[in-house]
Amino acid sequence: MQSIVGPLLAMADTPAAAAEYVAPGVGPAYALLVPVLPLIAFVLCAVCAAMRVKSKLPAWITVGLLACSFGVTLAATMAVRAGGPMISHGFEWINFSWGDGPGQAFVADFSLYLDSLTCLWMLFVTGLATLIALYASEYMSHDVGQGYNRFFAAFSLFVFSMACLVMADNLVLLYLGWEGVGLCSYLLIGYFYKKPSAVAAAKKAFIVNRIGDLFLALGIMLCFVHFGSVEYKTIFEQARPYMELLTQGRIAEIPAIAQIIPLLLMVGAFGKSAQLPLYVWLPDAMEGPTPVSALIHAATMVTAGVFLIARAYPLFLISESALPIVGWVGALTALLAATIGMAQFDIKRIMAYSTVSQLGYMFAGLAVLGSTAAAAHVFTHAFFKAMLFLSCGAVMHGFAGQLDLRKLSGVGSMPGWRIVSIAMLIGCLNLAGFPVITAGFWSKDMILGDAFANPSLQAIGWILLLTAGLTAYYTFRVYFRVFAGPQQYEMGDEHHGTHDDAHAHGDHHGGHGHEPGHGGGHDKHDDHHDHDDHHDTPHAPGWAINTVLAVLAVASFAILIPLKSGPDAGWVGSMVSGSSARTIGDAAYLHSAHGAGHAHATFFGFDAHKAMLVVSSIVGLVGIGVAYWLHRAGRTTAATARADALLPAAGPLARWAQNKWYVDELYDAIVRKPLLILSHLFHVIDRYLVDGLVDLLGWAPRGAGRTLRPSQSGQLHGYALGMAGGIVAFLVIVLLVIT
Amino acid sequence: MSLMNAAYLAQTGYPELMAAPTLAHYLLVSALMFGIGLIGFLTRRNLIIMFLCTELMFQAAGIALVAFGRYHLDFTGQTFVIFVLTVAAAEAAMALALVVLLFRSKESLDAQEWTELKG
Amino acid sequence: MEQIINPYILYGLCAIGAVGVCLALPRRGRSPQIVGALLAALAGAGALAALALKNPTDLPNIYFYIFSAIGLGAALRVITHPRPVYAALYFVLTVIATGGLFLVLSAEFMALAMIIVYAGAILITYLFVIMLATQAPKEGEVETLTGYDTQAREPIAATVVGFVLVGVLTSLMFTSVQGEPPAPNLQLGAGERAAGAGLAVKRGGDHPDALLAEMPRRVERAVRDAEIMPEGHTFRRLEGGRLEIDPQARTVTVVDASGAARQLPLPDDLVVTNTERVGFNLLRDHPGAIEIAGVILLMAMLGAVVLSRKQVQIDEEAKLHQQQRLAGSSAGRTGGAA
Repeated sequence: MQSIVGPLLAMADTPAAAAEYVAPGVGPAYALLVPVLPLIAFVLCAVCAAMRVKSKLPAWITVGLLACSFGVTLAATMAVRAGGPMISHGFEWINFSWGDGPGQAFVADFSLYLDSLTCLWMLFVTGLATLIALYASEYMSHDVGQGYNRFFAAFSLFVFSMACLVMADNLVLLYLGWEGVGLCSYLLIGYFYKKPSAVAAAKKAFIVNRIGDLFLALGIMLCFVHFGSVEYKTIFEQARPYMELLTQGRIAEIPAIAQIIPLLLMVGAFGKSAQLPLYVWLPDAMEGPTPVSALIHAATMVTAGVFLIARAYPLFLISESALPIVGWVGALTALLAATIGMAQFDIKRIMAYSTVSQLGYMFAGLAVLGSTAAAAHVFTHAFFKAMLFLSCGAVMHGFAGQLDLRKLSGVGSMPGWRIVSIAMLIGCLNLAGFPVITAGFWSKDMILGDAFANPSLQAIGWILLLTAGLTAYYTFRVYFRVFAGPQQYEMGDEHHGTHDDAHAHGDHHGGHGHEPGHGGGHDKHDDHHDHDDHHDTPHAPGWAINTVLAVLAVASFAILIPLKSGPDAGWVGSMVSGSSARTIGDAAYLHSAHGAGHAHATFFGFDAHKAMLVVSSIVGLVGIGVAYWLHRAGRTTAATARADALLPAAGPLARWAQNKWYVDELYDAIVRKPLLILSHLFHVIDRYLVDGLVDLLGWAPRGAGRTLRPSQSGQLHGYALGMAGGIVAFLVIVLLVIT
Repeated sequence: MSLMNAAYLAQTGYPELMAAPTLAHYLLVSALMFGIGLIGFLTRRNLIIMFLCTELMFQAAGIALVAFGRYHLDFTGQTFVIFVLTVAAAEAAMALALVVLLFRSKESLDAQEWTELKG
Repeated sequence: MEQIINPYILYGLCAIGAVGVCLALPRRGRSPQIVGALLAALAGAGALAALALKNPTDLPNIYFYIFSAIGLGAALRVITHPRPVYAALYFVLTVIATGGLFLVLSAEFMALAMIIVYAGAILITYLFVIMLATQAPKEGEVETLTGYDTQAREPIAATVVGFVLVGVLTSLMFTSVQGEPPAPNLQLGAGERAAGAGLAVKRGGDHPDALLAEMPRRVERAVRDAEIMPEGHTFRRLEGGRLEIDPQARTVTVVDASGAARQLPLPDDLVVTNTERVGFNLLRDHPGAIEIAGVILLMAMLGAVVLSRKQVQIDEEAKLHQQQRLAGSSAGRTGGAA
């Protein structure tokens, strides 16, 4: 592949902050509380489970400790802003050495690498986790008891794992967190473990992640083999010479092994962040309770892949092919997921595809050297997507699990749903990229601008631009169908809480195809709670949900302030540029190497960034307008809209998109079926060949015994004759030997 | 005249007829007696006679031992026979007790009656 | 190695003997037992004759032939006689014949011990057991032989094995044992004694007469009987009361009152008998074995006691059978009384 990284680097922003690499200092010990407090919460929730607590105690424990964790994160952020990157040493975790030389020790401490990127991530992880835990305290209230304890234990454990992942100062601790969040994701997707679809989804998520995790582990091992360490500070130090080679255009001199490492890490990131071809688990993960979807599968865990690439950005820069692959995969994922999202009817599932799509955006942003833009988008996306999910969750909670946008209409004008509706609107505006006033617009715009600013990656830019339009359309399709228009609704046919996610089972849109057998009674204490509203009237969300949504709505506007507080993404940009994602870029070298001849590529003669402000605004507004025209204007019922008339025109495309481009079926055909056939083959081999051999081992002595058994007649004479005959035979042999 | 004296006379000028037999003679007799005892043990079904046949084999062994001792001027051969006698006595005591026991349980001395070890 | 008897002759004789014994074994119905016995006797005689022909100038003692014939014939009868009592009695005959052979071998003690222990003790036990373990015939019934006594089991295989063993054993023995004459009988004349002494010393053993030092009273008595003890002299005693004897010169050291020693020649008729030699061999050379044999005998006695006291679970059928028999006999008695 033609190296595009060099020119890309040449194109990169060269902020003044991108100074020389600074060795990390000693960080404050209190930073350790950030992961430890969720761990304490986990332990306490586990104790609650052991003591069979039947109250909301675990929720308050979790909310309280997570809030403390958020506070500590804020303090750590202040320290990092003041003192630059630092490492807080926890305890010696792994320390093998077999010599004194470099690379002859395997050291992985439980230490936290605190730089601005870490802090940025932890701020929204702990902040959102606190809010969503509060939301869940009400949302999960139908399940108070063992399930409630279990939920919050796993929730706290997730935050701990995420903190390990983000704050680790070495790749092994990162891997621990990586697997930890995978485990918690599995546990929480399969929260309703009595439901087969939830169990299947949990397994699917876990198994698909296994593929990525394998490659991540290989990458970490290769990292150790090549750099002799798994600690970031050493790796970055070791990578500096390669960076200089890169800036001098001598890419060929960088060892191939160093270029393979990012490819392996990349696959790990694809798995965790649901990119092609490993994205299939995320939509199914909506089987979990909605707070879980909001926190893990929209805001935090799925951005771990973005974080990994941002964290290991120096390693990605020195590979010729890693970033282009990341870019194309991200862009294609964004487009594919957006097209699928357009055709779905399950609002939660639409949000899931939107998450996949936005993650694709972030990857593409990283690939076009817009690490600031990507991080900014992660940051904004975390808020507005969590809000969108929580709004959907509120609808689901209130309408007994109804999620089909053809069966809900005008929710926004119903009494008690105002806050939800406003939060939803704000979330949708952010996601659609409504110009100027939304944070989502600015962060998306930065990615588009960076993409178009690269001469060799403008194709990615065009894909992303198209995706932006589609995103605006399908986002507002949801809003106009569900929250606007005439009031009309059909209750879900489930006890909403207990089975709130049965609807996420995507392919049945009628809402009547729910699995039987979950209908009632396995959870006694939800009966009294549900009797008054089940199949009756929707019940508006309570104070916790409303508070959280209000806070998030405010926050999603408020993050405009850090985002636009200065040039180049303001505060967020400065957070990113002070971290590994930018410090080692050292684009100054590039300029010296390639001269000043590399100007930014232009968008039809205009500056890409400036042009994108206009173009993406127009695209977003057009998308919203189309959605209005097709799904709001003149709509009188919940089930039908003007868009239906257009479906025949779309031909099979609409059906294919609705069926998710048959990707699951494709995987089924190319992975599952061959494996199944292979396993059947192995079964046959095992049954007949291996078992046969083993049986033969058993049969041989058995047959020999059966043959010899008659000689054991039990008759004294027989034995005596045998003995005498044996002696005689022996003597005959002796005689023959002698003579 | 005692046999001992007859032998003594043989040493001091009796006819050739009375010459001392060679070791081979005794060993032949011993082997034949052992064979007969073995055949008896293998063919007879009466437990008592089977034990008698083992005693026959003891006899044969005794003849061989004494003959060897005699021809090698070593009295350990006779000592050995004493131990053989001892073992034979012990064996007879035990075996006959067992025979009585077995007879009581099956009213028969047929060795073929007991086939509990049949495979 | 050259064998005393030509191996082919030996094997042929073995085959004849095998056929004979096989025929002689008891069978159901009429069987040519006599023919078999004759054939077997022929084979045995042939073997002995072959031995004799090998060395015709040095034929063995006639008693050897007599006792061998009696012993082997009785042994054959032990295994061919259908009645256990007769078999036991023939075994007595075998034991006696073996005793005779022992006498010919100048093992007088063993000969008599064998007869006393075997014929006198062990065989009596056998007869008791035969008596205990044989069902008495009912009144008015002719005593019949049981099937397992009248019918040999696998006679051909057994005789083949037996006579192959005999053939192999004799072949093996005859390859290593030549027609050597017996060692000198030490309790006979001075010439024998000297020859035996030479043989014993040559083999690295003690002088046979050295045993006299262990038997002071015997020597004292012989010296006293021979009246050769000089006046005022006594035997010089070594530790343990042993006498100081020079076996080579056949002298014993005596001292007078003043302690002056002189050698006194032993009387010629003072010889160590074979029985004495066996005694010394047994008690002086193998004391441990004797202890062990004692323990074995004790254990056997305990075992016999335990076994014969054991209550046997008689199965139902046998119990019924026995009840019927008891009822029958009591009925017979009452009937007889009436």
